[in-house]
Amino acid sequence: MSGPEELDLGLGILDHQLVDSEGRRCGNVDDLELEDVREGSPRVAAILTGPPVWGGRGRLGRLASAVARGQTVRIPWEEVEKIDSAVHLRRTARELRLGRGDDRARRWVKWVPGS
Amino acid sequence: MRLSDLLSIEVRTESGERLGHVHDLRGELTSRSLKVNGLCVGGWGLLERLGVGSPESGGRIHIHDVVPWSAVVSASRRGIVVRDGTKPK
Amino acid sequence: MKRLFEVALGILAAIGGFVDIGDLVFNVEAGAKFRYQLLWVVVVGVVGIIVYSEMCGRVAAVSKRAVFDAIRERLGFGLGLGALVSSQVVNLMTLAAEVGGLALVLQLLSGLPYRALIVLGIAALAVVIWVAPFEWIERIFGYGGLTLLVFAVAAIKLHPGWGSVAHGFVPHVSSSDRLVYAYFVVGLLGAAMTPYEVYFYSSGVVEEGWTPKDLGLNRTNAMIGYGLGGFLSFALMITAGALFLPLGIEPQLIGTVALGAQVPLGTIGLILALVGILFAVGGAAIDTCFSGAYNAAQYFGWEWGKYRRPSGAPRFTIAWVVLLVLALLVIITGIDPVMLTEYAVIFSVVALPLTYIPILLVANDKSYMGRYANGKLANAFGLFYLVVILIVAVSAIPLMVITHQGQG
Repeated sequence: MSGPEELDLGLGILDHQLVDSEGRRCGNVDDLELEDVREGSPRVAAILTGPPVWGGRGRLGRLASAVARGQTVRIPWEEVEKIDSAVHLRRTARELRLGRGDDRARRWVKWVPGS
Repeated sequence: MRLSDLLSIEVRTESGERLGHVHDLRGELTSRSLKVNGLCVGGWGLLERLGVGSPESGGRIHIHDVVPWSAVVSASRRGIVVRDGTKPK
Repeated sequence: MKRLFEVALGILAAIGGFVDIGDLVFNVEAGAKFRYQLLWVVVVGVVGIIVYSEMCGRVAAVSKRAVFDAIRERLGFGLGLGALVSSQVVNLMTLAAEVGGLALVLQLLSGLPYRALIVLGIAALAVVIWVAPFEWIERIFGYGGLTLLVFAVAAIKLHPGWGSVAHGFVPHVSSSDRLVYAYFVVGLLGAAMTPYEVYFYSSGVVEEGWTPKDLGLNRTNAMIGYGLGGFLSFALMITAGALFLPLGIEPQLIGTVALGAQVPLGTIGLILALVGILFAVGGAAIDTCFSGAYNAAQYFGWEWGKYRRPSGAPRFTIAWVVLLVLALLVIITGIDPVMLTEYAVIFSVVALPLTYIPILLVANDKSYMGRYANGKLANAFGLFYLVVILIVAVSAIPLMVITHQGQG
C-alpha cells in the first residue's frame, strides 16, 4: 500500500467483524480506545470487545451488558493486520484471548455424540 | 477516552455557535497506526447515521463535512469545542 | 455442463423450499375467500422476494458479509440489537408454527397424538440437523417439497374458469369486503417475502465463498427458484378457489388444504399433498432455525456455518438448539398452528423494514459495493418495494385487528 489511507472510525471499523490470523471469526469491534485526545494528536490505542464494553453503546447496550457474561478484551492496535469489510488480526484468537465464548460453549457441545 | 464517548456529542465554536453533532472521526491509517485527523460534523442526518459512504475512498469514509482536528480546542464527554471561524467543508 | 446440472439441482431444491406454512395458509385461505382475485398479489410478492434476495446475495458475494453483519455495521449496536431481537421473535413464531404444522400432518398420516408428535418432530429435526450433512438436507427436503406439484395437477383437473384465473393476474380492488381483501393482500405479500429466507440465503452465499463472478448465478437462482416457487402458490390458490369457494369451505385446518388434492385426484393426491406439505414445512423449519442462529452469530461476531461440525461453531449450534426448544415450548401450549402462522406472517411484515432498509442502503453504497452497487433498474425495483413494504408494515396490524384476522 502506498502512503496512508483515510478511514472513518465509526463507519469502517466500529461494529465490524474481528477475524484472526487463521481466518477464525472471534468477535466484533465493540468500541475503540483513543489516547492523546486532550493533547491534540489523538490516535487509536486499542480495540475493545466484550459484554462490559457494550455499556458505552447506548441504553440497549447498557441493558445487554448487564445481562451477558464475559470479560473485556483489549487488543492493542499494533495487532491489526489489515482492514477490509472485517478487521483482520496478526495473531491467533487464542494468543489474543478472543473467542473464549466459543471455547466455553464447545465444552458443552462436545458432550453430544457426533459433534 | 473511547470512540463511543465522542460519537454524537455536540460540537460548538469557542463563542458558542453550534456546528452540529459528531457523526464520525476521520482517521489516517498507516501500517503501524491509526491517527485521528478530522471530525465529521453535521446535523442529525439519517443517511449519515446509516452510513452512506463516499465512492472515491474505495472505502470507508463518509460523504461529509469534515473539521480538521487541528481546529479542535477541547474535547471531552460533554462536548467538543473548535476555534471560532471553523467551518466544516 | 456439470455446473449447469448443479444449478438445476439447486433450483429444484429451492422450489420445494419456497413454500412454507405461511404460503400454504394464506394462499389457500385467499383462494377460498376471493377465488382467483388475489393471484396478482402473489406475483407482486414473488418479484419482491426476488429483488430482496438478489440484493442480499449480491451484498454477500461482494463484501463477504451476510445480512446481519451489514445490519450491525450500519445501524450500530443499539438499533442493530433491536433489529436482532425483533427478527428473533418473528423467527420463533414462524418456527413454532411450522413445527405445529409438521405435527398436524404427521397426525393425519399416523394417527398418533398431536402433542407427542410435536416432541417427536422437534427431536427428529434436531437429530437430522446435527447428524446429516447439509447438502443432503437441502436435497431431501427440497425434492420432497416438489411433490406439492400435485396441487398444480389438481388445479388443472378441477377445470377452473381459466378466464377468471387470467383476470386474477390483473391488479384490481375487490368490490366487496374491501378490508378483508386488503388484509389478504398484506398476508400474501408477507408470506411471499419472508425475511428468514434472505438471512439464510445470504449466509449460504458467504459460506459457499461466492465472489462477484457468481453474481449471474445469484440472479438466476433468485428468479427461477422463487419464480417457480410462486407457481406453486398459484396452484394452491387456484385449487382452493375452484374447490373450496363454491362449497363454502373455510380452510382452517391443514387437513383441509390437503383435501384440495384429494377431491380431484383421490387417495394418491391426498398422500402426495401430505408428503409435500411435510417436507416443505419441515425444510422451512430447518431454514428458519438456522436463520435465527445466523442472525445472532453474525451480530455478535461468533463463528457460524451450516456446513460446519457442531463443535466448529459452538455458540451458533447452541443458538439453533435453544430456538428449537423455545419453539417446542410455544407450540406445545396448544396454540392453533394456523392462527400462529397468521400472526407470524403479520409480525414478520411489520418488522420487514428494519432489515430491508439497511440492505437497500448497503447495496447502493459504492464505497462498499464498487461497481456492483445498485444500478438504475435495481434501484427502481428496490425503491418501489421499499414503498410497498412500508405501506404494508404500517397497515398490517390495524387490518388484522379490524378484520379479526380475515374473518370479517
